[in-house]
Amino acid sequence: MMIFVTGPQFAGKRACIRQLLGLSEEAFAACAVWDVQEMADPDRLDEIADSLCTKKIVIATEMGCGVIPLDASERLRREAAGALACLLAQRADTVIRVCCSIPQLLKGEWPCASC
Amino acid sequence: MLTLITGGASSGKSDFAERLVCRLPGERIYLATMEPFGKENLSRIARHREKRKNKGFITVECSTNIGSLVLPEGANVLLEDLPNLLANEMFSASGGGGENLTEELLTLSARCASLTVVTGDLFSGGNHYEGDMLLYLQRLAQCGNALAQKAALAVEVVCSVPNILKGRIP
Repeated sequence: MMIFVTGPQFAGKRACIRQLLGLSEEAFAACAVWDVQEMADPDRLDEIADSLCTKKIVIATEMGCGVIPLDASERLRREAAGALACLLAQRADTVIRVCCSIPQLLKGEWPCASC
Repeated sequence: MLTLITGGASSGKSDFAERLVCRLPGERIYLATMEPFGKENLSRIARHREKRKNKGFITVECSTNIGSLVLPEGANVLLEDLPNLLANEMFSASGGGGENLTEELLTLSARCASLTVVTGDLFSGGNHYEGDMLLYLQRLAQCGNALAQKAALAVEVVCSVPNILKGRIP
């Protein structure tokens, strides 16, 4: 059971999910991984997605909505981040998007504090 | 009633916000935050004024120090827009820094029949900012998040279509 969370930078994704699941900071840190867009190695996306699925909560920041970067490595990085997010959303039982600190359910069921 | 509208550039968020406020009875005030100088700003202001011409708004310009703004009590106020206002507060010579912008807007909201704040999604482009720009984005996000928490209605406008984050469109 993995919950994938996405949304703009600084949208309050971590705080929102922590509150939704009623987790302490320590409990949250133990079962969640965030900023996974930074882990997107384009040659190992499936492998990374599989290993991230062992976590209860996986959080990525949306980064694909700006102008295409001039720098080739930045382009690659951005595309890999988007592709990884897709793989994670496909593997997740629940997908939540947080915008302006407010969660929206994109896939699955709302998680509850006892889950 | 507090409403927050967000969305990308040219997503139709201003049109949506104007339509929303136009449905409300009573006085309507358009709180314009853009500094009225420079060719581009002036032409944008003229274009927006033309678009609003027959919608019954009184335009009030306030580019900085919104905390000291006095408006008639009980009006429906449309503030356009938050990214611009915060940029003025932080980077303009007459700005106050913007540290208390959330509180100032909540105080303003309490004096209005309704306050509708238009903000924008500047947070999905994947850019790594530093220094003043990072501080600006963090402060803008904090303010938008706090207003969304207090708002009765929060809407993200996507390609002119409202995606309701919270509440119900009246």
